[in-house]
Amino acid sequence: MLRYIGKRLLMMVITLWVIVTLTFILMVTIPGSPFNSERGTNEAVQANLEAHYNLDKPYIVQYVLYLKSIVTFDFGPSIKQPSQTVNEMLGRGFPISFELGIITIIVAVLSGVTLGVFAALKHNQIIDYVAMGFAVLGISIPNFVLATLLIQQLAVNIEWFPVARWLSPAHMILPVTALATGPMAIIARLTRSTMLEVLTQDYIKMARAKGLAPWKIICKHALRNALMPVVTIMGTLLAGILTGTFVIEKIFAVPGMGKYFVESINQRDYPVIMGTTVFYSAFLIVMLFLVDIAYGILDPRIKLHKKGGRE
Amino acid sequence: MKKGLLYLMGVLVFLVLAACTANESTGTENKNGEGEKAGDEKILQLNNGEEPTSFDPAIGFDNVSWNALNNLMEGLTRLDEDHTPQPAVAEEWDVSEDGTTYTFYLREDANWSNGDPVVAEDFIFAWERLLNPKTGSSAGFLGYFIKGGEAFNSGEGSTDDLGITAVNEKTLEVELENPTGFFLHVLTNPAFFPVNHQVAADNSEWHAEAESFVGNGPFQLESWEHDNEMMFTKNDAYWDADSVNLDGVHWAMVNDTNTEYQMFERGELDSAEIPAELSDQLIDGDNVQVVDQGGLEFFRFNVTEEPFQNKNIRKAFALAVDQENITEYVVKNKVKPAYGYISPGFTNPSGEDFRDVNGDLVSFDPEEAKQLLEKGMEEEGYDELPTVTLSYNTSDLNKEVAEAIQGMFSENIGVDVELENTEWNVFLEDQKALNHQLSRSSFLYDYADPVNFLESFITGSYMNRTGWSNEQYDQLIANAKSEADEGKRWEYMYEAEKLLAEEVPLFPVRYYNQVEVLQEGVTKILRHPVGYLDLKYADKQ
Repeated sequence: MLRYIGKRLLMMVITLWVIVTLTFILMVTIPGSPFNSERGTNEAVQANLEAHYNLDKPYIVQYVLYLKSIVTFDFGPSIKQPSQTVNEMLGRGFPISFELGIITIIVAVLSGVTLGVFAALKHNQIIDYVAMGFAVLGISIPNFVLATLLIQQLAVNIEWFPVARWLSPAHMILPVTALATGPMAIIARLTRSTMLEVLTQDYIKMARAKGLAPWKIICKHALRNALMPVVTIMGTLLAGILTGTFVIEKIFAVPGMGKYFVESINQRDYPVIMGTTVFYSAFLIVMLFLVDIAYGILDPRIKLHKKGGRE
Repeated sequence: MKKGLLYLMGVLVFLVLAACTANESTGTENKNGEGEKAGDEKILQLNNGEEPTSFDPAIGFDNVSWNALNNLMEGLTRLDEDHTPQPAVAEEWDVSEDGTTYTFYLREDANWSNGDPVVAEDFIFAWERLLNPKTGSSAGFLGYFIKGGEAFNSGEGSTDDLGITAVNEKTLEVELENPTGFFLHVLTNPAFFPVNHQVAADNSEWHAEAESFVGNGPFQLESWEHDNEMMFTKNDAYWDADSVNLDGVHWAMVNDTNTEYQMFERGELDSAEIPAELSDQLIDGDNVQVVDQGGLEFFRFNVTEEPFQNKNIRKAFALAVDQENITEYVVKNKVKPAYGYISPGFTNPSGEDFRDVNGDLVSFDPEEAKQLLEKGMEEEGYDELPTVTLSYNTSDLNKEVAEAIQGMFSENIGVDVELENTEWNVFLEDQKALNHQLSRSSFLYDYADPVNFLESFITGSYMNRTGWSNEQYDQLIANAKSEADEGKRWEYMYEAEKLLAEEVPLFPVRYYNQVEVLQEGVTKILRHPVGYLDLKYADKQ
């Protein structure tokens, strides 16, 4: 196990390095500069600015400086908002994006699994059709459309929830709903189909024959196996939710990280581009790693390491 | 068995509902709390769109910074309701006979929010910073009116050569390069706001947080949660605090026009922009405020590329565009079509509007356009016009305008142009490098004088980006920038605009405006044509 983890950690560092290098190459190849403006500045001013941010140095030196900033986790000040450092921006935005993401995942998994199990148990009955119809809608409606719809109906027309911003738990309901509906629908459909499959297995019949309590059969025997595919797609869903927050954060004016990620590219704010990209990638890589570990714990048949099992 | 399952589901559903209800009630309490607070005091609720770039006057050279800065600080002069400069920190001033030396007498009761008096040294400190090439200010060019300003900003002079001196603590003398009739206007720009030099000496990042911010304007910065919200409260130490009606201003940062409007509908904001899709529905409403903004949307020809080296072909394209059609059906929101280059609102010394004097110079005329195109093609020996590509920077509105113009070219002069769009930063690089043939552009004024726009098109100017060069034009602009006699100066500018219309290195499409819808009882939110917002006199019933 330890050996496996060690190997994975090494792979994670290499992946991150590749991402950083690609980002750097993309950054220097896109035309434009952070100091581009309609009006233009004096050459002397321009030269001073470039020197201040090391943009006058050869690319290879800039590259090494970026690597250094990543190792020390100090990305320096933003070019566009010079009185703020990238670390401050990440420190401010990440907890909020994380909060939004985590709540979304919890809501999506809980409601998705519940809906899926329910639909499977009431297979081909009205509840099944309703649940699955709901799921199809959830998958087909893009989250930004749903977001606008939710605001108009639930915040403007009937004033149940606040329109936007991120101040109290009530402010979280609409963005979380908009963001969680898609993943929830996917999870619900997946749970339903695997649940249907598992319920016909011999060991379930066996459990029933032994007279176990129904909830025990569902929760302990059926659900545990039915959840495996759900865990498998968690990695992809996670990436989807993280990128989904960019749009949702903008619509609901949630002061998270998405805005830095998108705007820094438009503004060619190099330190912020690097900071957000590295941070997002590192986060995603670690999460995928955790999902893999969870997979091993949930299913004892899966061996994370080659040795250790019977050869 | 089924009963057990149902029970389990029931519990789950109940838990979810319980969680939701709990959240809801917290939300309601919170909202009531806010409501009470707003009831007692006059707090204006506005949206800044996004985080201000900087509250350092030399760095925050954009609207998102000015919205706030113009209300937290104040320069020597301040624009009034008619957009003319009035005494602010300067109580009065003398101008030398040749118009190049201004002596400003600062108010005795002009104080900083930390209690320090506003002194001449504060202005000198701020302006030297603005012009210092090490500061990296993009507003530096505004200081070129000051003697020695351009040299210092180019890294060639020193602060000793700058024409700004403190005669005594409350008297500031400014020497200019040339007599500049609109200098008092220029001074209203936030780039010329003073900086408390003692505070800045202790902490160069004084402007970064609410706790350390020291201003001298009608409001003070109570709190600032970056990228989220700001709270201003009335500054009782302000010299004209009696004129300030509001108790405070709350700023949200919501960067989505639709959300902004929905918050307005819900009463969470007192002012909102009108989303493009709702323009037809809302623009004629009672609480809509429409104010001109100095500026022009136009298209640049690249005169170094075929076929636009030919004046008649350029003119043919210019006259084929029906500006009114674009403003009426594409841009909407009551913007005005532009038949000249200088937007309305600039008045000469005898009170006439620049636009009225020069009249319509580039108006839609498909018949003449056709003839000019034929003539131009003959001159160049074209049987067929080379392919023309119209470029614009990516945005929904720019796309609609470009498509409308494409249709007009096709219909009126029988030319099919191709459209091309790129992201703003890439677009600008290409435009500067003259890689476009015909490209979309816009100009917004920095100060209220036509020369601000006109000087863009002198030979070699960064703003030129057409490849066009004309000695006579360069001379007219040089004269317009140095002439002491205001009447003559305006004559030069009239002539310069006519020359532009004659040579057409660019053609005008429309002027800009600022449109907002206000809650009932909200009054006197001043939006100046030069782009800054003034809440000094704003009120909320």
